[in-house]
Amino acid sequence: MLVLTRKPGEGFVIGDDIIIKIVEMKGGGVRIGIEAPHDKKIYRQEIYDRITLENQAASQWNMTDLDTLSDNLSTGTTKK
Amino acid sequence: MIKIMTRFGEVEYDPDNLLIFPAGLIGLPNLRSFIVMPNRKQGPLFWIQSVDEPEIAFVLTDPTNFFLDYVVKPDTAERSSLQIDEEDECYVLSVVTVPPDQKITLNLAAPVLFAPKTNRAIQVILENTEYQTRTPLPG
Repeated sequence: MLVLTRKPGEGFVIGDDIIIKIVEMKGGGVRIGIEAPHDKKIYRQEIYDRITLENQAASQWNMTDLDTLSDNLSTGTTKK
Repeated sequence: MIKIMTRFGEVEYDPDNLLIFPAGLIGLPNLRSFIVMPNRKQGPLFWIQSVDEPEIAFVLTDPTNFFLDYVVKPDTAERSSLQIDEEDECYVLSVVTVPPDQKITLNLAAPVLFAPKTNRAIQVILENTEYQTRTPLPG
């Protein structure tokens, strides 16, 4: 990972269309401003990681479980 | 028609009739093309089979069957990814996690937006939401 030292008010540019600026440092946190094209989604990493893990978990399932679940759901008697 | 071998046996599909996730799923950007599998059983669950990785398939459902007030609308950038206009139909779907104990959960924090007109879908992360990645079905 590239590591750069910047002061508040300074920033850097990624490619031609992403600008990242250090806004201020306060109470152990760093406020960062990001300018990027609208189609570039920006997520807090822990949230992104949680969704990634959930997607990975969701890709593991058994057809027999699904059949049983579908039977239960369609008759409105979901197992608790 | 093309055949692939999946975890659930051989599946035949029409390459012109795939569900396309132009950006893949979150954290899984290479999973772009899916076969929508016909329901083997009655009920709200269906599944999509990855063409790119035949080992991978996801169970989806319409969350509004369970959560009546759950509404997610695509913003301008999302409509652009889906290649639809504001007046075009867009449905919200949830990725279902089926754990071994079968107590399924819906990922309401990261819904899938599906545009039937273009057969495209995107997964989005809801910001500032109370919705959870593992939401159990309402009791």
